[in-house]
Amino acid sequence: MCRYLLVALWLAASTLSAVAAEDVPALLKKADGYRLDGRAARVENTVELYRGEVLDKVRKYTVYVKPGRRSLVLMKSPLEIGQKVLMLGDQFWLLMPDSQRPLRITASQKLLGEAATGDVASMTWSDDYVGQIVGEEDLRGHRCLRLELAATRPAVTYVRIDLYLDKITALPIKADLYVNSGKRAKEAWYEAGVLEGKTRIVAMTLQDDIQTGRRTVIRYHSIEPREAPDEFFNPAALVRNALAGW
Amino acid sequence: MVIGKGGMLAVAMAMTSLTMMAGTGIAGEFSARLDLSPEWRADNEHSPYLVPATASSAVRSLRQDLGVRMREGGFNAQGTLRLQAAEGSVPEYRGIVNQLYHDGEFGAGIGWTVGRKVMTWGVGHGFRPLDVVQREDRRGINQPPLVGVTLLALDFLDAEEATTLVWQHPGAGQRGVAADDEALAVRGYAFADETDLHAVARLSQRYGVEAGAGFSKVVGEEWGFHGAALYQRKSGQRLNHLAEQTVTVLAIADPTVTNHRRNVFKAVAGAQWTGTTGVGVLAEAWYDGEAWTREQWRQLDALTLRQRALTGVVPTVAIESNIAWSAQAFDRPNLMRENVMLRLTHEADQRWKSALEWLATPRDGGRAVTLSMTYEGNHYRLSSGVRWLGGATHSALAQSPLQRAVWLQWGLALP
Repeated sequence: MCRYLLVALWLAASTLSAVAAEDVPALLKKADGYRLDGRAARVENTVELYRGEVLDKVRKYTVYVKPGRRSLVLMKSPLEIGQKVLMLGDQFWLLMPDSQRPLRITASQKLLGEAATGDVASMTWSDDYVGQIVGEEDLRGHRCLRLELAATRPAVTYVRIDLYLDKITALPIKADLYVNSGKRAKEAWYEAGVLEGKTRIVAMTLQDDIQTGRRTVIRYHSIEPREAPDEFFNPAALVRNALAGW
Repeated sequence: MVIGKGGMLAVAMAMTSLTMMAGTGIAGEFSARLDLSPEWRADNEHSPYLVPATASSAVRSLRQDLGVRMREGGFNAQGTLRLQAAEGSVPEYRGIVNQLYHDGEFGAGIGWTVGRKVMTWGVGHGFRPLDVVQREDRRGINQPPLVGVTLLALDFLDAEEATTLVWQHPGAGQRGVAADDEALAVRGYAFADETDLHAVARLSQRYGVEAGAGFSKVVGEEWGFHGAALYQRKSGQRLNHLAEQTVTVLAIADPTVTNHRRNVFKAVAGAQWTGTTGVGVLAEAWYDGEAWTREQWRQLDALTLRQRALTGVVPTVAIESNIAWSAQAFDRPNLMRENVMLRLTHEADQRWKSALEWLATPRDGGRAVTLSMTYEGNHYRLSSGVRWLGGATHSALAQSPLQRAVWLQWGLALP
């Protein structure tokens, strides 16, 4: 009996050390796979702003994402239709339909509620952050690894992220998002579901640290592989309708 | 009530769109919006240029726009059905085709456009020298949507560079106003070292060669910088020829003539800071070589005083007609060549946006202060603002026939 117990303990210890040994970049790649798997994609999402439990505003977006940190956000709600945001690395442009002129904007300029442009346009951590595992914590029924991540580029939306990943599956559960001043700007909770037959993050809830009665929910409705041509990601091309049919 | 000519296409677009809206099988992209824009203007009783009888001094006015946009494949249309009503005049309905064009592809990275399209290339906020195709008044208040330019265009695009060739108003030659002139234009764009680089050139009968370049750059999360300069071979300033002599004081027909000049420069430079708390600051300075100098304003002021001094000697209508012709000088977007602007903005609660803008003309001590506020709901937007003109007594802005304007705009996005 004692021998079986020792074997069981040895097996459990082996499993734990295997997880601990897994390097952070690999964990982040795995976590990214629940959002985007690194390929070019077209993502349909909505951003909902709640005051208390009341839905206050809804905005619809179509996002074209390409490797190399390139994203193109098309705004689809009646009040914003025709507006576009292009993200190339750390650089952002906004096109207003009335002016037909791309304007340079910063990553922190908000789309709606607590959703910054970067929250909607960038959906990967592994390209932008490095870090280490600093502990474990139980969150919403998951045993989580806590990762402390620092940005590798100066102009990402958040300079530091405390990311909580399910210890077994690396599913993102929660993130504390910090801005340049070092203050925590918001708290993000991730919700998993099935999209196109795969387990994916289907919603991200952003909780405002200052105005506690408010929350912003980004819902991902579809993530389809779609390789839009490179020239569509040129700021000068925003005034064209080249994405018709993509 | 009057329905203006040339607008039937826009009316048809509006009606077609509304029909589509009412149906269920809307193809492509469609949007519609209703805007109500009342405006109140207060005359400047101290202005020597104030002529109460002119239509521009209507105290209250209302613009009501039903705007529609449609896109299906490469086909694009934007039209406005407008009701314009002003105190003391007959309400007028107009149909406006803002844009009607087709974007197509010859192959990967080569695009073409034919039709009427808004094409703005400029860099800057208060003044955009590089807008050589779509010349836009950036200083107007409560501006309606732009009306595009009839053109044929070719675009050559790759991931980081773009070149656009434009034939503007093909076959039109030189028309009555510069915006309708035929011209050939080219724009080069490159994104290098995290900086937007622009270069433009245009050839037209009226202005000869125009050539310019500009940049815009965002540094970090909060700072943005921009600058642009344009050289214009020829320019045509509209001047009152009576202002340049003292013999004749009144004219019996419009005395404004075109003063042809060569080698005109325009430039703008600015910096913008956007904080994470919703506060933003924009500082900008510009030089418009086509605008008037202090001396030209002094001459016109002196002429206007000489004309006013004839009150009781000659019929009032003769004096007021002459002053109204002179007052056309206030229609220019920049009253003086040198301008500086400071704009503070604040965004709060995801609903409120406010802006305080201070424009100054340092050569004559003029200033214009604009305060505006916007509230954005889920399907509507409510904006309001007020602008005061003033500054040193003899500055162009302080002598404007308009002293204050207040406006309101309620925009409803139709489902």
